Amino acid sequence: MDFEPQYTPEQEEFRQEVKAWMKENMPEGIIHPADPIDLTEEQYQKRREFGRRLGEKGWLWSTAETKYGGGGLDVDHAIVLEEEADAAGLTIPPFYDSGGRLGGASIVVWGSDEQKEFFLPPIFKGLVRTWQLLSEPEAGSDLANVKTTAVKDGDDYIINGQKVFVGSSLGCDYMWTLTVTDTDTKRHENLGWFMIDSTLPGITVQPMDLLISGGESGAGSGVKNTVFFDNVRVPSFNLIGGHNQGWKVATTHLELEHGTGGKISRNVVVDKLFDYCRTNDRRGEPITKDPDAREKLVDVYIEQEIVRLLQLRNYWMRHSDVTTTYEGPQASYLKKTLGLKMSRHILDILGPAALTFDPELGASEGHMEAHSRAGIIAIHPGGTTDIQKVIMSRRIGIGREVIEKAGALS
Amino acid sequence: MDLSLTPEQEMLKTAVRRFVQQEYPKETLLQIASPTEPTPDGPWQQLTQTGWLGILIPTEYGGEGGSFTDAGVLFEELGRGPVPGPHISSAVLAALTLLEGGTEEQKKEWLPQMAKGEVRMVAAITEADYGWLEDDVRLTAKKSGDGFTLNGKKAYVYDGESATHLLCAARLEDGNDVGLVIIPANIAGITTRDLPGFAWNLSEIAIENVSANASQVLGGKFAGGWDALERAEAKTIPVLCAYQVGGSQAIYELSVDYSRTRHQFGTPIGRFQRVQDQVINLLNALDAARWTAYEALWKLDIGRDAADSVHLAKAVGSEGYYEACNFAHEVHAGVGSMTEYGLTLHTTASRTLYHYLGDPKFHRRRLADALGL
Repeated sequence: MDFEPQYTPEQEEFRQEVKAWMKENMPEGIIHPADPIDLTEEQYQKRREFGRRLGEKGWLWSTAETKYGGGGLDVDHAIVLEEEADAAGLTIPPFYDSGGRLGGASIVVWGSDEQKEFFLPPIFKGLVRTWQLLSEPEAGSDLANVKTTAVKDGDDYIINGQKVFVGSSLGCDYMWTLTVTDTDTKRHENLGWFMIDSTLPGITVQPMDLLISGGESGAGSGVKNTVFFDNVRVPSFNLIGGHNQGWKVATTHLELEHGTGGKISRNVVVDKLFDYCRTNDRRGEPITKDPDAREKLVDVYIEQEIVRLLQLRNYWMRHSDVTTTYEGPQASYLKKTLGLKMSRHILDILGPAALTFDPELGASEGHMEAHSRAGIIAIHPGGTTDIQKVIMSRRIGIGREVIEKAGALS
Repeated sequence: MDLSLTPEQEMLKTAVRRFVQQEYPKETLLQIASPTEPTPDGPWQQLTQTGWLGILIPTEYGGEGGSFTDAGVLFEELGRGPVPGPHISSAVLAALTLLEGGTEEQKKEWLPQMAKGEVRMVAAITEADYGWLEDDVRLTAKKSGDGFTLNGKKAYVYDGESATHLLCAARLEDGNDVGLVIIPANIAGITTRDLPGFAWNLSEIAIENVSANASQVLGGKFAGGWDALERAEAKTIPVLCAYQVGGSQAIYELSVDYSRTRHQFGTPIGRFQRVQDQVINLLNALDAARWTAYEALWKLDIGRDAADSVHLAKAVGSEGYYEACNFAHEVHAGVGSMTEYGLTLHTTASRTLYHYLGDPKFHRRRLADALGL
């Protein structure tokens, strides 16, 4: 066994190239607001600009095929890129985008050649920002219960309906969504998956007032919206996977969203909590010397190590083509419960300083306050913790008679 | 990065699993746990024949010279039984202590016999005032002539009753150093008493006026003995964790199977989300224990400082096995409480191993130290 990437001389050479390139190309003055809602238009544009430069280089979606605008690199190079972005305090992509990781990945699996050629290059080159539009008022955990309709009309579909808890602040170029294409057939065989130009007439975006949206610093979505479709005319070309085949397409991005992709970067909030407790005093001693705080910090450390290892396992499984079953939703479940547990520990360790981003009294530039809100809210996006357990149960063969397989990732 | 086992490790895993199924079926394990007739010696003899007890003993001392991950694979499979010792206590902890702190003569004398299972040397460390710190050792060694006289009582000694020799922690009256003394377990002055109840292979060992000469002291002197033991403990813990992982894996499989086949209200009980919660909690405890254990084994193999990983693995692993058993009992209800079903073998093991080499609280505190908090 080997729990860390082994770097070949060629990878180390690549790392130097990445470092040098990043130094040259990373815009100055990128800041990381504790709550992504505070990301300004100017800050967002800096991140988009950096995204485009990464895209030009093939490093935005480095493992995607070059013919679709990806980097065509293998996982060894992707790891180096991810690590170097992490070291620079950014993620790739450096802004909220559901195009490459989830939507694009689904188009790669289910789209026709023409669709791939049309939709993928702008995504992989960072020219467009894409939102995912899944939840509806009547379709939360039961996603297949979506009510938004897409009715065939000549060469187009006419879309009507409402999506909730979607998108981000500062707009998007494309939206992908799940709709009902056939009201007469049964569940899961009645859906259509569309990639939609966000500038089409009839689309209205209305921000929601939420406690927080979840997500970290500049790559979080900031705002979530209600999106209304009012007789939006979408060409049939934008239907991915075929008429009534939408659920199949959805299984791909749902699988990825449920944690199967894995992760090798660190938990930024944990790092900030530890830094804060090391460098701030209570009754004349660092907070870390307080026995109660110490116990809770170790608890946080242990749980985040478990999450780190399971995400590492998933990362390895995905990139080694080892068949996954329950592992994705397991990592997602534990990551979410860790977040909630941490928000309690932060409250215990810091007291009411955990509840304010007041520059004088708040802790860690507002990051602890933001996490105090996010702990409970981040439990639900992308499948609640209960839903993750439902999926796990099906995958290990107890939830249903037939053991459920993971969604297709290639 | 590669989290798979090597082909050789896969072969070892298969071989040990087959061995445990053949030599230690449930009936045998139950018979060993509550003997109604003399404990069958056959399985243990078979185990000593395999050479596996020498997995961590270098080839120059008659062992296999395997890696820590190899040992993890072996003991994970033994943990599925759970196959009772003395294996980890002797062939891992005592053997590694000898390697860490023994003289060349001591290594040559004892390790080959330990690799064959002929000598079952068990570390007798803890006492009634329980703890795994040097300060907790009270048993005294008093200089007399060229040697020493030992007096005191060891308590909660894991595998104490099956030991042929003890590696006994003793405090030198003159100078206060804590060292380790190798003494035969069956000589006059040593009285071993198996502790009754829920304890699993725990003994109290009274040591009264037992003489030992300098050649019996680990490394020939008391000073440095405790440090050697601590270094050996740090290497033993991840192996012990793998053993606990094997136990959790076995009862996870048992619980999945039971959830699929046991019907109530006209449907398999696995359809009920309350039951699913128990199985999933079990699986989460199992996987947390598995990957913390194997990461620590890997760090030992590549010679990296593993202190944080070792404390992490033991805190997670001991809690994990304990909790896994509880979740399995929730799935099985009454059936799980029947000794003949076999789950209670693990439940019993999990309680004793919870404390062995330090309980979760102990390791959480040491983890805080290791992290520099």
